[in-house]
Amino acid sequence: MKKRWRNSGLPLVAGATLIVSSALAQTVDTARIETAGQNDWLTYHGSYKSHHYSPLAQINANNIGNLGVAWTHIPGRSTRGLQSMPLVADGVLYYSGSYSRVFALNGATGEVIWSFFPELDEALISRQTHSPYNRGVALGEGKVFVGTMDGRLFGLDAKSGKVLWETRLIDSQKLTVGFTGAPLYAKGSVIIGSQGGEWPGRGPIFAVDATTGKKKWEFLTVAGTDEAMKTWGNDSWRTGGGGGWMPGTYDSETNSILWGTANPAPLYDWSGADYKTQGARPGDNLYTSSVIALDIDTGKLKSYHQELPHDAWDFDSAVGEFVMLERDGQKYVVHPNKGGFVFVYDRNLGVKNVWRLVENINFVKDIDPKTGALIGRRDFPVGKVTEVPLCPFIGGGISWNAGSYNPKTGLYYKIGQEWCMTLDIQKTTPVTTPQVQLNIGADFKMVPPPSGEIYGHLDARDPITGAKKWEVRFPEPPLGSVLSTAGNLVFVPDSRGILHAYDAETGAELWKHNNGTGHQGGIVSYSVGGKQYIAVTAGFGGMLADEYAPNFGGVYKSMPRDDGALVVFSLK
Amino acid sequence: MLKLHLKSLPAVLGASLLCVVVARAQSATPAPDNGSFDVEQLFAGTCGFCHSDGGRAAGRGPQLMNSQRDDEFLHNRIKSGKQGAMPAFGESFSDAQIDQIVKYIRALKPREG
Repeated sequence: MKKRWRNSGLPLVAGATLIVSSALAQTVDTARIETAGQNDWLTYHGSYKSHHYSPLAQINANNIGNLGVAWTHIPGRSTRGLQSMPLVADGVLYYSGSYSRVFALNGATGEVIWSFFPELDEALISRQTHSPYNRGVALGEGKVFVGTMDGRLFGLDAKSGKVLWETRLIDSQKLTVGFTGAPLYAKGSVIIGSQGGEWPGRGPIFAVDATTGKKKWEFLTVAGTDEAMKTWGNDSWRTGGGGGWMPGTYDSETNSILWGTANPAPLYDWSGADYKTQGARPGDNLYTSSVIALDIDTGKLKSYHQELPHDAWDFDSAVGEFVMLERDGQKYVVHPNKGGFVFVYDRNLGVKNVWRLVENINFVKDIDPKTGALIGRRDFPVGKVTEVPLCPFIGGGISWNAGSYNPKTGLYYKIGQEWCMTLDIQKTTPVTTPQVQLNIGADFKMVPPPSGEIYGHLDARDPITGAKKWEVRFPEPPLGSVLSTAGNLVFVPDSRGILHAYDAETGAELWKHNNGTGHQGGIVSYSVGGKQYIAVTAGFGGMLADEYAPNFGGVYKSMPRDDGALVVFSLK
Repeated sequence: MLKLHLKSLPAVLGASLLCVVVARAQSATPAPDNGSFDVEQLFAGTCGFCHSDGGRAAGRGPQLMNSQRDDEFLHNRIKSGKQGAMPAFGESFSDAQIDQIVKYIRALKPREG
């Protein structure tokens, strides 16, 4: 019988487990993730509040000069770099690399406790474009959960890495896409969304029983309700795209998961202004480029807001941050959109404000901050879009990695990207057999903004109003996640390979370290045995990073796109 | 629309495969027009995601216009791909169609204006 996975429970497991023994005695459950103890990083976004913030302050603005490398781990076979968010529970660090390789490491020393290398359908993966990177795992009920590019979800024993269950959720042979995003654990379920977007399909989001691996429900982000079906003319829902490829979060007060959905296919429609009746997919195309609230027990849609009705620009809502805040007795949810706007909602996804993070935006003139309605949208007919380039570039004004909200400063630290593109819009037909193929609808090319050079920026802003306190600029947009801490620090892993630490109040650079290759993944902080650590993934390559060498040259020309390392820092 | 009629293509096997493609695709998409394999639209639908400006500029993938690679290299790269960089299209397109794609690449010129 064909062996479907490999596991290396090394002899050092016993010793390593002793070091972190108290750990594994405690179960990671919904209440614990909600509480978010300061020593751990239990879910992709840190906690269900999605702050990407650590309350640890041992490493702080006064002693950051003493920060140095504590240990590194090389996962191997890092095709298209390393893009995942490490998780930490009770002194054990869990993270994933390309091909859904999962490692459990001693958080203090980096010693390998166990590793898991799933046996994947390599022939299928060789046909995929958005592959074979993996963006993270989930923890819950003594298990580690990870999705695969060939359409499966695994439940592993957190102590040994042994497979407890595996469930095939989508037919990747036909749909070509699989799972690259981290799952979310909450209330006995593991939630994971498939890739989609420019891939003709219906972009499902799944809930799986964490104990048994049995599928509980499935929600189709393309025409998943009768109401939504009416927003896809000419049966275009059959190849609509959608998906939810980054993890959202869980709101226990409403018993809902909040999730951002991907764009419709083709990316670029040729409808012109009559998009309600003309073009490839006439109508608003619900629930693509939307934020949705699903009942965690049933998968039924409870509320939604479509950030970009009939998205004709690939500026979707798949960014997984749903930053939970309270101010003056009001509860808010802050969600960044790829187009460069940041939406502020109430807990039922009613729009409370919309503000701009990015300067170079012209796919719309504006978005009404009171209603979220698009004002002055640009809908292209067949032909060239060159005289006034489309801004931002397809990589977005905001990319999929996360910002950070610091409750001590009250500021939201977020990366903005300033770049544009020319297009030649063309009619295409979705190809669904023998395997689904990309459906773009245009040729395109990156160009600088009309106002000047391409650049990126870290902004420190009020998350509700968008008021800017300070900004730091980068010659090329950073692509990694941001971390802020109670030590008055903001960490930014940049694309050239430098990890920067800034004063959270002023933006002054306090420390930097060259990790030797570009960053495009996660960064977290945790504590083991009373010592604080910062862990960051380094390793470049992928759908956006691959644009850097031809467009920016310099260090990117020689930067590997098949390498990576987890680098962990502590005070010397 | 992506045109998949194969009267100009000699590969019987490929033709058989794509007749199936057309038949099965009808339930999901409009039936393709008659005519030759439309590589320009294939680029706008699929290849152009990495090969910028329809293959005229370097992007996620290399510039194809004026490629120094020989036809055999291009054919094999399209068919078999390259791990982590280029998908394999050997199960999606026949050898004859891949030859059409290579021919299209050889004819690429800078855009006017």
